[in-house]
Order: sequence, then structure tokens, then C-alpha cells
Amino acid sequence: MLRLILGRVLDAVPTILLILTLVFVALRLLPGDPALLALGDYASQEQLALFREQMGLNLPIWQQYFVFLWDMVRLDFGRSLTSQNLVVDMIGRNLPYTIELTLMAMLFGILAGIPLGVLAAVKRRKWPDAAVRVYSLVGYAVPDFYLGAVLLIVFALNLGWVPINGAGTDLASRLHHLLLPAITLAFVKSAFVARLTRTSLLEVLGKDYVRTARAKGAREPRAIYRHGLRNALMPIATGIGLSLLATLSGSVAIELVFNRPGIGEMLISAIARRDYPVIQGGVAVFAFIVLSVNLLVDLAYVVIDPRVRAGK
Amino acid sequence: MSLAVPTVPVVRSPNFLQTLFTGNLAVTAAGVVIMIMVLVAIFAPFLAPMDPLTQSVFKINQYPSMEHWLGTDQFGRDVLSRLIFGSRNSLIVGLVSPVIAAVIGTILGVVAGYYGGIVDRLLTRLNDAMLSFPELLLAIMIASVLGGGFWNVVGVIAVAFIPGFARVARASTLSVVQEPYVEAAVAVGLSSPRIIIRHVLPNIAAPIMVLLTLWVASAIRLEASLSFLGLGTQPPAASWGNIIRDALSNIFGSPWPIIGAGLLITVVVLSFNVMGDALRDALDPETQS
Amino acid sequence: MSPLLKIDDLAVDFIAKGRITRVVEGVSFTVNAGEAVGLVGESGSGKSLTSLAVLRLIPEPPGLIARGRIEFEGVDLLQLPRDVMPEIRGSKISMIFQEPMSSLNPVMTIGDQVGEAIKLHRRMSRSDRLARVVELLQMVGIPDAEARMGAYPHQFSGGMRQRVMIAMALACEPRLLIADEPTTALDVTIQAQVLDVMNKVRQDTGTAVLLISHDLSVIAEVCDRVVVMYAGRVVETGPVATIFDAPAHPYTDGLLRSIVRPGHEERRLYQIPGSVPPAGSIKAGCPFQPRCPRKIDRCAVDMPPMFDHGAGHGAACWVTAPVRTTEMEVQ
Repeated sequence: MLRLILGRVLDAVPTILLILTLVFVALRLLPGDPALLALGDYASQEQLALFREQMGLNLPIWQQYFVFLWDMVRLDFGRSLTSQNLVVDMIGRNLPYTIELTLMAMLFGILAGIPLGVLAAVKRRKWPDAAVRVYSLVGYAVPDFYLGAVLLIVFALNLGWVPINGAGTDLASRLHHLLLPAITLAFVKSAFVARLTRTSLLEVLGKDYVRTARAKGAREPRAIYRHGLRNALMPIATGIGLSLLATLSGSVAIELVFNRPGIGEMLISAIARRDYPVIQGGVAVFAFIVLSVNLLVDLAYVVIDPRVRAGK
Repeated sequence: MSLAVPTVPVVRSPNFLQTLFTGNLAVTAAGVVIMIMVLVAIFAPFLAPMDPLTQSVFKINQYPSMEHWLGTDQFGRDVLSRLIFGSRNSLIVGLVSPVIAAVIGTILGVVAGYYGGIVDRLLTRLNDAMLSFPELLLAIMIASVLGGGFWNVVGVIAVAFIPGFARVARASTLSVVQEPYVEAAVAVGLSSPRIIIRHVLPNIAAPIMVLLTLWVASAIRLEASLSFLGLGTQPPAASWGNIIRDALSNIFGSPWPIIGAGLLITVVVLSFNVMGDALRDALDPETQS
Repeated sequence: MSPLLKIDDLAVDFIAKGRITRVVEGVSFTVNAGEAVGLVGESGSGKSLTSLAVLRLIPEPPGLIARGRIEFEGVDLLQLPRDVMPEIRGSKISMIFQEPMSSLNPVMTIGDQVGEAIKLHRRMSRSDRLARVVELLQMVGIPDAEARMGAYPHQFSGGMRQRVMIAMALACEPRLLIADEPTTALDVTIQAQVLDVMNKVRQDTGTAVLLISHDLSVIAEVCDRVVVMYAGRVVETGPVATIFDAPAHPYTDGLLRSIVRPGHEERRLYQIPGSVPPAGSIKAGCPFQPRCPRKIDRCAVDMPPMFDHGAGHGAACWVTAPVRTTEMEVQ
């Protein structure tokens, strides 16, 4: 078990290296002198030279690369060019908001999606199935930021049931602020989960062991849930786990719509200010989250499926 | 000059068309929507009642009227005209980037699958690394460092899609290469490029086509998302995504641009999805749900 | 004595793409208490569907039982309300399937799966149930049964899994055990072991067996009587010895000549020419007549009824029909 985890972690190392290298190349290839960008057009030659020295910009490019990698390993992303705050602190402040939004959206999406998917599979080719299919199609097509904007106009602006922007302070107000953004993301999520559940469950319900269950006298609910859904949970869990990242991607736009703090909001506003250390930090955080989630999904597999647990 | 226009058979059999178009109202409707939107994009200058960029301080945030069917935005620009012109950016990016991705991805996938060895392992490794990122997040990450603008958006979306195409192309190539008739072709000494063009490409065309249709929908969504985030089509040029972005900063002014642009994105993406699903079912009956 | 199971004029349809295909037509036979009956035929002959029909496990759609009666202990199962069937399945009638690899739930332990059959039909304390599971696993010859109850199916070999399936089927001491190609997916040596287990179980528990197989030698190993099916119909039925020594249907004859039998080794194995016609393609006459080496003109026109050859032996063939032809009352 431990060896398995260690193996998967080691597998991720080249990927992380690759992404960091890409970020490095992209930022160094970018037109524009970072020193000039940081200090502005009116900086003197001496100031620029000093800045380059401080930032290591005068070193040969391969040395810069290793300095960059070492900084990344130490989570030293530097300071924001505009606010002078440490980027790692900014990430620390913003990350919890993004995580709470993503997880809440996942929760809502799963709670709505799995029952819908089961309903569609059990009532296959009847009207509930068709209704769920339409629901999924719309969920796949509607842009989350559009849905968010509409919900914002209706429930925050016109009805005033929820706050218009921000993320709140104490627990109650945080949940209150979280409600609408989470529901927005959850709608798209539930469409995906419903479709995934339907497909997985239908496939499993056609398996021989479900017939065996019926042959030994299990009634339909038992055959469907005990024998069917339990086995369908593996592909469903994997799919949901991987789709966590889709929800995370969606959170970027949603944070903007609802004017919430978060990594996405931090990244996007940094882009507008050309605040490269912050951009770099934001991208690195996303990359790190993606790899961790993939790792966790792999490990979840091991826990659910006795075949994998036994080492194949 | 000959008057006869050479016709290219696009469709393999009448059966295929039948499955695609008859007996399914939704598919027909989707086709009509796509056709209309393409025509609107092509003839935008003739259809739009106003210039989409002309501002007017006297006409800020007007509600729908006979003059401005969908009202005006915070700069006094006609919303309907902006939506019509916006369809150009949205559709062009939506169509061009998956095609670019398909070409590059197919080449990479076929090369990896056909030649195998170290090339295959390297490409697959790179591919897996990229595939572990959701397309939107990958696009946001790339666009963050590259910035917006038309060709950047096309490039970013294409890059985000390449791994998917490469994977399908590689898998299909691997299965084709193992077919006896390809082994026979190798045995009689046919050159590799010939085998790839004659045997491999025709066989992987179908899955690539299906993916392409489905990803036009994704690309339109991605363009909209990136433009909404300010990483896509740059103002003052209109795209459905940045219309919503503009309107959101003017949310107390007028909700009409948001509603209009969002509906357009939803309907067009829905149509391409329905088309893609139908195409997949028609080409590969086994995956029918 | 009235039979335990009496199938009478059963017909099953399959509906696909708007077309209805008759895949089982007019099948009748019986199984007496404690008796072992073999149902033999090539794949596509409708034997598996017939057996699934007994438990009403044919998926509907696409399947549909179009006609007939399936009497078990005097009750027509086809007339029972749908929600009563689970009380019979696994309790009075059990079934084991061809694919031991896929027929067991991969995420439940062996013990739980065997125990579930008991839990569904018997009121029993947990400890009694566990003891019963151990006893069952020992009965079908699983070594170290107590320890292996917590194992998952993937930790078992194919033969062991089929033993587990048999144990599961016998958990509630059913009066009838239906075994659909129980040995087909197994190696030959394992096949013999599993058949031994089935024979032992029969002796120990006195349960009746309906054994479905395409392999006459498997049937001979276990059964008292044989029902031969071809293209959805019963073509011959009778005691095993009679059928093997003097088959009265050219199809059965062909089947027998195509297997190796003691005392007949010197002869070249026979091959029935042609292949089984697709279901529903037979319009008139005997379904076997296109492949039959002995056909006469009448065979292509009229479907032969079941002719009585005496001593419980019947065959649906015009050519071999006894001179004084009386249609046989199928027992």
C-alpha cells in the first residue's frame, strides 16, 4: 500500500517538472523586460541593473532555470510587483475560498446528480430518463458564468435573498455568501454526475452477477443498489474525482461573477496588472492541485476496489 | 474551363445519413440552428442593424425598443448588433481551433502509434501530463502567461485540445497497425508514409471526426469562458464571452446583453453537442446509450 | 406422481429493432422430483432461454414469454405476480450460470454472497448463517472454507468459483437446481471435478437437476433423461441410455456421432453439415431438414409432431416415425 502511494507520487514528479519548465519558458520568452515591467518606464539604468541583480536576471539562462526550480520547491514565488505582498501569503489567503467553493459545489452536484442518474437508469427509455437527458444536455451547454450572472441578477439583485459579492466572515455569513456560487457550479456538475451515474449503472446492471443476485431471490432494489450501484461506484467515483478539476476550473469564472476572493480571482486580476510573480504562483498552485487530485483519485480506487487493493 | 464541378463523396453510405438525420427531430433542429448561426456570422455586416462599435453617450443602457431590439450597453452600443458580430469571433475560434488541434494531434498520435519506441513513450508521457489537466484550466494557465488576442486564443484552445486528439489517434493507429492487412502491406514492402495514408488515416478518420464535432462545442464554450475572463477576444471587438464580461460590470445598467449572449452560447453549444452525439452514434453503433 | 416441473407449449419472442423473432417455440418437457434432466442443443437452440424462462429471468424487453405454462409444484409460475418470483428464486428453484468469472459480485466476499441467499429466504441468526455457509462451502469441496469466506471472487480460480456458485444455489435446499452450461468455461480436468460435485450434491440432497449443455458427454455424466433442442424446438426426448443407443432423430444421431464415446473410438468423428439456422428464419417444415441427411419431401412442408417410440422415448421426425404413428403425449 505504502509502496503504491510512493510509486504514484514519484510518477507525478516528471509532470510537475514539465509544467514548471513550461511556466519558466513561457515567462522568460514573453516580450518585455521584467525589470522594466516591475519598476516602470521611468526607472533609471542603475535601478534596473540593481533589480536584475536582485532577481537573478543577469545570470545565464540555465542558472536562472535552476534558481527558479529551487524557488518553486521552497514555495518561494517572490513578492507581488504591485502590492509587495509575499505571493505565498496571497495564495494562503485566497486558497480556502476557492476550496470551499469547489467542495460545496461538488457536494451539491453529487447530491443532485446521483439520484437523477439512478432514476434515469432504472426508468430507462421512459420519460424520467428523457427528462434527465435533456437536463444533462442543457447542463453541458450552459456556460457556468452565464448561469451565475442570471442567478446573481435574480436572487441577489432583484430578490435580495443573498449577498451580491464577497465571501463573508463568520461561518453563517460565509455559507450565505457561498450558496449562490456553489449552486451555479453544482448545476453543471449535477448534469455531468447524472449522465455518468446513468451510464455506469446501466453497464453494471447488465452484468452477470446482477443476474446471479436476481437468481438467488434478491428483489429489484437490492439487485440495483446492493449489487449494481456498489459496483458502479468505482467508475462513478473516478469520474467524479477527476471532474473535481473541471469544477475547480469553473470556480475561476464564478469567483469573477460573484466578486469572490479566491485563487482564480487572484490570478485573473494579476494578469490585468501583469503581476508575473503572482501569475506564476497561481499557475503553480493550480498545477499542484491538479496533480494532487489525480493522485488522490488513484488512491481512492485502491480503497474501493478489493482487486486493486490486493495488488492486481 | 469545365463547367462540371467535381463532387466529393463526403458521406459513406445512405445508411449513415439516414441514421443521422431521419427519425430524430432534435438532430434536425440542431442542424438548422448551426446553419442559421453560420449564415448570421457570414452575413453579419448586412444583418446587423447598427455598427457594433459605435458609441453614443446619449443612448446609454437603454431598454429594448423599436430602434434597439435588445437595448444598448453602457457605451450606448447596440446590443443586437454586438451579438451578431460577436458570433463571428465565437464561431471562428470555435471552428478553427479544434481543426488545428485535430491536425496536429492526429499527426502526433499517428507518429507515436505507428513508430512506437522512445518517440511514443515521450509523446505519451507529455500527453498524459497535459490530459491530467481539464481543458479550461489548461487554457486559463496558458493564456495567463501568454495573454489574450485572437490568435493567442486559437492557439491556447488548440493546445488544450491536442492531447485528446493525439490519444484517440494513437489508440486507433495501434489497433489498425495490428490488422492483418496492414501487416500484409508491411510484408510486401509498402513504404511507411504510404501505409499511413492508405490504411491508417482512413481508419482513424471516423473517431477523429466525432471528436472534432463534439469539441467544436467545447471550443465555443472555452472561447466564451476565456473572453469572459478577459483572456480571449479583446475589446472593443465583440465576442459572446466578453459581451457578458462587459455587461457584468454594468449589472445595474442593463441585463439584456447577458441574457442574449448567454442564450446564444447555450443554444449553439447544445446544437453542436447534439450533432456530435448523433454523429458518434451513427458512426459507432456500439457506443449508443 | 405429478412432475416437479412441467413446461407446456412454451414460446419466447425476442424483439429487436421493431422485429419480433420467435426463438423458442412449443417447448414441452417435465422434470420429476429428484430427477436429473439434460437439456442439450447447440448455441442458439433456445435452451438457455428456456431455462431462464423458468425463473422468469429473461430481460423484458427485449425478451417476451409469448405463450405457454411453466408449472412448478402444480403452480403456473407465469401466472404469478411479478413480486412473488423472488421468493421462489434461490429458495425452491436455484440457478447457476455458465460464466463463473463474471457471475460473482467482485466487491462482495464469497461468504457474504453465499450467505445472502440464506439471508433472503431463511430466518437465521448470524452465527447459524455463517456456520451454514461454511458447511455449504465444505460440501462443494472448498478447502479451508472457514478462512476463505472472507476472500473475494478474484482470489478464486474458475473451478473454485463455480463451486461457490453451486454452494450459493444449494444454500436453501432447493427442490430444483438449474445449471446452465456449468462446466463450459472450465478446463477439462476442472469440468470433471465440478460434475463430480454436482453428482455428490444430488445424492446428498436429493434435489432435482435441470442441466443445460451443448455437450452430450456432460449430460451423460449426470442425467437420467435428455431433452434435445434444435432451433427453438424440442426434437427428441427420452432416457439417456435409450437416446445414446438408439437415437430416433437424425439431429441427435449427428450429435452423438460427433463426440468421442467409449467403444466407438475407431470411427472418424462426424460433422453435421451446415449450421444452425438463424432464429425465426424457419417458415415451414422441420427446422433440421436443410441439414438432414435423411430428409424426405414431406419434411420441407410439414412440421413433424412428437412421435412416441415407447418407454418414454419420443422424436419429432417423419422419417423415423413408428409405422403405427400415434402422436406422443409428452410426459
